Formats: sequence, structure tokens, C-alpha cells
Amino acid sequence: MTAPRDSWLDRAAGPVVRPYAMTKGRTLPSDGTASFGLIDLVLATGQRPPEGFRLSPEHRRILSVSRSPVTVVDVASDLDLPVGVVRVLLGDLSEHGLVSIRPARPGPVTDARLLRDVLDGLQAL
Amino acid sequence: MDFRRSDQPAEHGIRPVTTKILIAGGFGAGKTTLVASISEIRPLRTEEELSDRSVGVDDIAGVERKTTTTVAMDFGRISFRSDLVLYLFGTPGQERFWFMWDELAYGALGAVVLADTRRLADCFAAIDYFERHGTPFVVAVNCFDQAPRYAPDDVRIALRLDPGVPVVLCDARERESVKRVLMVLVRLVLDLALVQPERVEAARPAR
Repeated sequence: MTAPRDSWLDRAAGPVVRPYAMTKGRTLPSDGTASFGLIDLVLATGQRPPEGFRLSPEHRRILSVSRSPVTVVDVASDLDLPVGVVRVLLGDLSEHGLVSIRPARPGPVTDARLLRDVLDGLQAL
Repeated sequence: MDFRRSDQPAEHGIRPVTTKILIAGGFGAGKTTLVASISEIRPLRTEEELSDRSVGVDDIAGVERKTTTTVAMDFGRISFRSDLVLYLFGTPGQERFWFMWDELAYGALGAVVLADTRRLADCFAAIDYFERHGTPFVVAVNCFDQAPRYAPDDVRIALRLDPGVPVVLCDARERESVKRVLMVLVRLVLDLALVQPERVEAARPAR
């Protein structure tokens, strides 16, 4: 059994770097308490990364797009990364205080003022 | 849930309020068309772990570890003001993506079930889902040019809808028509909020 090691790597195999390689194989954020809903807001805190935490290029891109508040889905769409990958990377950034997360309101939506604002907004479109 | 840093004021920038509406319906019912008619549409990739519900559909024979499947979907974004943004999520139509619905539905304002009169049965699953989860929804009958027209009440009977569920005719290609559908939904949710104040209390997030 001495098949060449890389015989399965060819053009048909697709990209060699799979999305979760960017997360070092992690599929869940390391910070167990964090949960990043699709329309939760992400905002870079502007703090410096603590010593010992190396930012990957993807971490930097997230920090760059979240200089003003941006939702998790918009981050994923901007970076063209799967939402699952973005969640893991956000977990790293949140754990080190580099982004803050404001969760969207949990359902059901019953805030009459918010609903009237949405109604007025639609009317004015 | 513990969001440790969520109570800190933002140092810069207004943090808008975000809310979402789901657009459900069978394959080809016009979900993407509807979203594109009224909002800035954006591509989204999700990479989901195959769950029990989807195993058996995707062939995972020979794959020993947990595996993931990529789901491509669209979403739409409507910014009303700098501080209020509405997202529209088209729900994946295929049954093997049902496991994504819970996340999409969580915290949603409500849902639009888009129906095609030629394939009315295609929206049964969505209606059933929203009824079971107590998600407010409206049924929007997408009036395709070549499809037979039915009165909303006939559609209501055919779908065995609760009397409280609005049925509206629409053209998913027309912005004004889509706008009207969304407004019917938001009015429904507003009415629910006003007549059921206890629902307000129960749902108010802890601060």
C-alpha cells in the first residue's frame, strides 16, 4: 500500500482549503456562552488584540467591516464565507474583547412602536 | 443566554434595530423574485452540519465523521432609516433543509407564505410549520400570468386556513404589490401585539 500520498488532490477535488480550515477545524465558537444570531449586530471595539492572540486575515476582514455596526449575515455575505465559519471567527474576536455583539430581540416581535415604525417605513418605500 | 458585552454602550456609530420576515413557499413560487422586488438582495452561504433529519437524503456512506452540507440562499435588506433595518429571508424550499427553519424563524416578526395556485399543496408544509410554532403569517397568492385565478376565500378554504390568517393576491414582480403584502403582515402582527398585551410581557427581552 504505497499509493502516492497526494493522489486524491487534483483539480476535481475543488479548493484545497476548505472553509473550516480558517477556523482550525472548529465548527462551534470556543466561547460557549456566545451565540450569534443571523441579525445580531457586530461592532468592532477598537481595542488592540491581547498578546498571544494572532489575528488571521479573516479576523482582520471582520474587524474591518464591523467598524460600524453590521449584522452577522451581512458579515458573511461581505466576506463570502459560510455563516458557520463567521460564527467561529466572531467567537474568537468576542472572547478577546475585539468585537461586541448586540443580539437582536428574541421573538415573538410584540413591540408596537417597532411594528409601527416598520409599517411607516414600508408605506414610505 | 449570557451576552457579556451587550449592555455596553456603543462607542461609535448608531446601532440600528434589526428585524426579519421569512418568505416561504414551494420551489418556484417566486420567493427570490419577491425579495428582489423590494429589497437589496444579497447572496449567503451557510455550511450546516447534517442532522438526523437530513441524513438519508445526502449520501454520507463511507464518511465516518460528522459532515456538513453547503446551503446557498439569498436574503434581502431594507434600510428604512439609519436605525431600523428589515431583513427578508427566503426559506430553503427543499425538505432536506428543514433543519434551518428554526434558526430562521427564531425572533422573526412573521412570515409570508407564497402560494402558486397550480401547486397549492407545495405550501402546506410551510403553513403547518408556522401554525405549530405560533409564527404570525399571511398567505400571498402569486398571480402568475398563466395560472388560474381564484378568490382569496377559495384559497383559504383549499388551504384550510384559520379565519385569522389573511390571504392576499399579489404579483411578486411588482414592488407595490409586495409592499402591500408585507404591510398586511405587519398590521396583523401589530394587531396581535395590541390585543394580547401578555404576549408583550412574556416576550420582552431581559435587560
